[in-house]
Amino acid sequence: MLFFVLKRIAWAILTLLIASWIAFVLVHLSGSTPGGVALGQSATREQVIAYNESVGWYAPWLQQYFAWVGQVLQGNLGVSLIDGRPIGPDIAKRLPVTAALAVLGTLVSAVIGITMGVVAAVRGGAIDRGITAFSGILLSLPAFWVGVLLVYVFAVQLRLLPATGFVPFAVDPQAWARSLVLPVLTIAITSAAGLARQTRASMGEALTQEHMRTLRAVGTPTWRIVYIHALRGASLPILASVAIQFIILFGGSVIIEVLFALPGIGQAMQSAVGSADLPFVQALVLVATLVVVVVNLALEFLNRVLDPKLRAS
Amino acid sequence: MTVDTTSILRIRKPQRRLGGRVLRSPAAMLSLVWLVGLVLASLTSPLWLRYGPLEQDLSAVLQGPSWAHLLGTDELGRDLLSRIVTAAAPTLLIAVITPIVAVLVTVPITLWAARYARAEGFVNRLSEIVLSLPGTVIILAFIAAVGTNMPLVMIAFGLLLFGALYRVFFGQAKSLHQQLYVEAAAVDGVKPMTASMCHVLPNMSTTVIVQFVLLFGAAIGLQAGLAFIGLGPQPPEPTWGGMVQTASKFIFQQPWMMIPTGGVLALTIIAANSLADVLAGGSAMPPSLVSLKRRKTPADAAATAPESGTPSASTGRAQAAASAGDVPADADGALVVQDLVIGVDDGPELVSGVSLRVGRGRVLGLVGESGCGKSVTSYAMLGLLAPGLSVRSGRILWNGTDLVRADEKTLQRVRGHEIAFISQEPTRALDPMFTVGWQLAASVKRLRGVGGREARRIALQLLTDVGIVDPPRVLTSYPHQISGGMAQRVAIALALSGRPKLLIADEPTTALDVTVQAEILGLLRGLIAERDMSIILVTHDLGVVADLCDDVSVMYAGQIVESGAVRDVLVRPEHPYTMALLAADPHAILDFEGTTRLASIPGQVPLPGSWTSGCRFAQRCRFASDECTAAIPLQPRVQGDGGVRCIRRDDVRGRQEEWRRPVAVGGER
Amino acid sequence: MSTVEPVVTSPDAAATPLLEVRNLSIRYGRKGPLAVDDVSFTIGRGETLGLIGESGSGKTTIGRAILGLVPVTSGRIIFEGRDITRLSAADRRTLQGDLRAVFQDPFSSLDPRKPIGDALSAPLRVAGVPRADRTFRVQAALDSVGLAPGSEERYPRQFSGGQRQRVAIARALVTDPRLVVCDEAVSALDLSTQAQVLNLLSDLRAGADLGYLFIAHDMAVVEFLAQRVVVLNRGRVVEQGETREVMRNPQAHYTRVLMAASPVPDPDEQARRRQAWQQLKASASAPVA
Repeated sequence: MLFFVLKRIAWAILTLLIASWIAFVLVHLSGSTPGGVALGQSATREQVIAYNESVGWYAPWLQQYFAWVGQVLQGNLGVSLIDGRPIGPDIAKRLPVTAALAVLGTLVSAVIGITMGVVAAVRGGAIDRGITAFSGILLSLPAFWVGVLLVYVFAVQLRLLPATGFVPFAVDPQAWARSLVLPVLTIAITSAAGLARQTRASMGEALTQEHMRTLRAVGTPTWRIVYIHALRGASLPILASVAIQFIILFGGSVIIEVLFALPGIGQAMQSAVGSADLPFVQALVLVATLVVVVVNLALEFLNRVLDPKLRAS
Repeated sequence: MTVDTTSILRIRKPQRRLGGRVLRSPAAMLSLVWLVGLVLASLTSPLWLRYGPLEQDLSAVLQGPSWAHLLGTDELGRDLLSRIVTAAAPTLLIAVITPIVAVLVTVPITLWAARYARAEGFVNRLSEIVLSLPGTVIILAFIAAVGTNMPLVMIAFGLLLFGALYRVFFGQAKSLHQQLYVEAAAVDGVKPMTASMCHVLPNMSTTVIVQFVLLFGAAIGLQAGLAFIGLGPQPPEPTWGGMVQTASKFIFQQPWMMIPTGGVLALTIIAANSLADVLAGGSAMPPSLVSLKRRKTPADAAATAPESGTPSASTGRAQAAASAGDVPADADGALVVQDLVIGVDDGPELVSGVSLRVGRGRVLGLVGESGCGKSVTSYAMLGLLAPGLSVRSGRILWNGTDLVRADEKTLQRVRGHEIAFISQEPTRALDPMFTVGWQLAASVKRLRGVGGREARRIALQLLTDVGIVDPPRVLTSYPHQISGGMAQRVAIALALSGRPKLLIADEPTTALDVTVQAEILGLLRGLIAERDMSIILVTHDLGVVADLCDDVSVMYAGQIVESGAVRDVLVRPEHPYTMALLAADPHAILDFEGTTRLASIPGQVPLPGSWTSGCRFAQRCRFASDECTAAIPLQPRVQGDGGVRCIRRDDVRGRQEEWRRPVAVGGER
Repeated sequence: MSTVEPVVTSPDAAATPLLEVRNLSIRYGRKGPLAVDDVSFTIGRGETLGLIGESGSGKTTIGRAILGLVPVTSGRIIFEGRDITRLSAADRRTLQGDLRAVFQDPFSSLDPRKPIGDALSAPLRVAGVPRADRTFRVQAALDSVGLAPGSEERYPRQFSGGQRQRVAIARALVTDPRLVVCDEAVSALDLSTQAQVLNLLSDLRAGADLGYLFIAHDMAVVEFLAQRVVVLNRGRVVEQGETREVMRNPQAHYTRVLMAASPVPDPDEQARRRQAWQQLKASASAPVA
């Protein structure tokens, strides 16, 4: 077990290095230079070059990269080229926004999706066909379109909720909740369908397992067969889908954050890319990869706990 | 070994080729027409559009649909229809890049990894790393580097999809590589890569095509999403995502703009996804093994059965018996099956008029080849028929109750408490997710109404009773940690947890080695003696019947063709099929001196639905004559109790050895 | 059993056994347990050798090693005087179809997407047989296993289990081989089709210079077909000899148990076997001095 943990952590570190190296190379391949971005169009060529030299831009790539890694290990993610503020604290401020969105979005879509999938698999027939067709449509709807439509209905027409914007939890918990309702709803509508399909397929497979007949033969009631045995049997693939959902939301809720003007990681990424804020891009790739790696690790340990076959080996 | 009834259900739906599936599905055709039509309309748009996509008309800004502007106009008075249609072809054609790149990269790597174990380890790690890259963020970083060059972004997206796609493909490629026909190709001397290309790739093609279409839809979505956040092709060039973005800005002034812009995008992705669904063979789920719905009142089903059943004598008698409503006087402790007819709903009959009787403390063997209906019959006795199968008529009498007409509540009282069941594959009969002890204790708790501690004590005792040497260890084991023979002992312990009077055993030793089989048969024999239990043993093995059974019924094509005491049936068979089976069984020959042939029954067991009204064995029987086309009931046997379903039984009796001579009856079909 | 034998150098074909397996050991993975442990046997020309054992006995692994489908850890496999233990895929093609196989599962041994004629002509194509000849030989092979003319254009799904196993046998025989490895070739079949296939295998070798390595878990099936038998238990040979001798007078305890455990469809004979089995069990559990 200890060996397994060490091996997994080593892989996680390697993944982080590879992702950050990709980001580093991409940043250097782009036409922009730190000086060009930081000093703006008014700066002379000499000023730009001088700035670039001062941040070590012309040093060999590997040397630069490891210098950056060294800084990161000391907790220093660099400063933004646009406003000169340190990146670390900025990201730290944005993390709770994205985390709240990802956690709530995953929870709500998991509850809706798993329920839909279980009902479809257990009831079958017309209900199953209906849920499957419906989830097929939901699966295909672009999130930003659904989001705008929701804004139109709930904010513009009904005036129940704020259209966009964010209130920190510490400032006003109720306003915080209200500001998250529409984004979370948008996520749930577009992500629940995928989970519903996965649940339906896994449950359907679990229900065809030979031991279902044994259970019925010793008089096990239907609810126990469905909710204890079949759902437990289907739990691993469902859990994997939920984890993927979470990863996608955490690393990629750019569109939702931009649409609802939520100051999270995704929105930062959009503006950093738009303004070629190179150190910011690099730092964000690192943070996003870290989240993926941590969630994957957690999932793997959870699998070990949930799957008797893995646990034994 | 036996054909499962569910597989019979599946045989009825022949697999169509991909093209056929698309052509036959209205949804798929509609999707295809939409996608192709959109591209064609877009490419030919300069010929038929009334306005150019960039043509502004500031006198008609933010209009709703009108005759002049069918889909309205945007904030600069540009025609939305023109802009949407113009943007279609570039969007779709550029989106194709992603699945092409993803498939071209992933498929060869998958085939390579599936073939060579060393490559597999490396590629698995690689895919894990790619899968751990935060896709959206990397794409955005990529845009920061190369700008909003959409074809390049689509290529990068395709490469990033390697990890996910590899996971989808690899499992299938691996299992295809393990197919015997791939090994057979290796034995033929076919080169490994040729074998992969000829035998593995074609069999994966459906999955590849389905993923291609799904990724196509995803790529369209990504393009639109990027355009929406301003990282797509730059204005004034029309893009779907950009138009939705504009629409969202003007949602207070003109909400209509949302509808055509987002709608066309949504419809396009829906088209791609539903096309993929149909290509994947539809979303049909295999039916669950046990019925989860409340039973329809079986009496209704039975009442309508005689019209749909075969016009055999058995159904007539079933009606007579049912109307008389008589329960045999000696039914106490015995299970009596009368003229049981089981069929696939809206399909063929699987069992036609089976009657059985198992007395208290007796062992009845139900023997026959695959597809003769013996397992289905045993399932029916506990209401365990898979959804889609039902009893059409007949009765199953147990302690004065007709289990065919019993409601779910009554059946639940019988299951486990009075009649128990053990199935064919012991390791698969237990839930892999729970320990043996948990499963056993849960069932003891429910069936005996005892508390947790007492249940665990009883579970331990039951494991000891079924001859398990180290019960505490087995209690804490998971099913995959114990051997097949041990698992079958556990399954028997589970069956005993409600102290049943009758045990239905469906091929309980088929999956086991002979030495383990002997142990399990010994265990069952001991249980009968100690607990005064009766057993119905379903098997295809005449040796197992000889070992354990008192009585035996031989089934062929849904009917009982011969029944009687074991010694009568196995030593002095009166039905040609029983004779043939015995003469075909190499175990029956105790000394091979001088014997060079086994009985060869020509042809094969006729499938349900192709049964004739006369003797169902006649086509394969060496003794068959013209009279065998007439329907024949089960008649009393000449020697001993029981019955024989053969019109020529007096002529054929004692001619068992003739089966060993080569003969061509009915011929090979 | 593992005495050192002189390496066969004689070019005289008649004196060379068809197949010789010497001290074969096979380990799965780098550190796994031995699946096959120091197994030696020979098959003469035109002879049928039965390889019998329960699950985990290593019998299938031995067959696969002979066919080159699993790597050998140590020991040698000599086919017609030629060492084929570690032949490369390319060298294996030079066997020209002299060594062939029939697998257990008739449902997965044929590619569902290819007409069966393709499966039959593949080994001929590899051996460089001209096209016209191939068609003729495929038809002859199908005819010899009793399948109707025109079968070569049909797909596997159009055949029943027994018929597919006939197709598999035709594919093995199409190259006119010297040795066919039959790995549980009849165990997935029902009694009546099993008898058909066993009779067919028996008929096909009559008058031909054809040997079988017949791998099975069922004593009676091996007894029907094989002249000599090798009994395996946990990767080791426990007994080998003339089938009749081994069956009548088994020497090893394991062989006796195996025979006594195999049920026969005669209640009285079965009662005797059961008693024998119980005695053997009792003697095994009693402490042996």
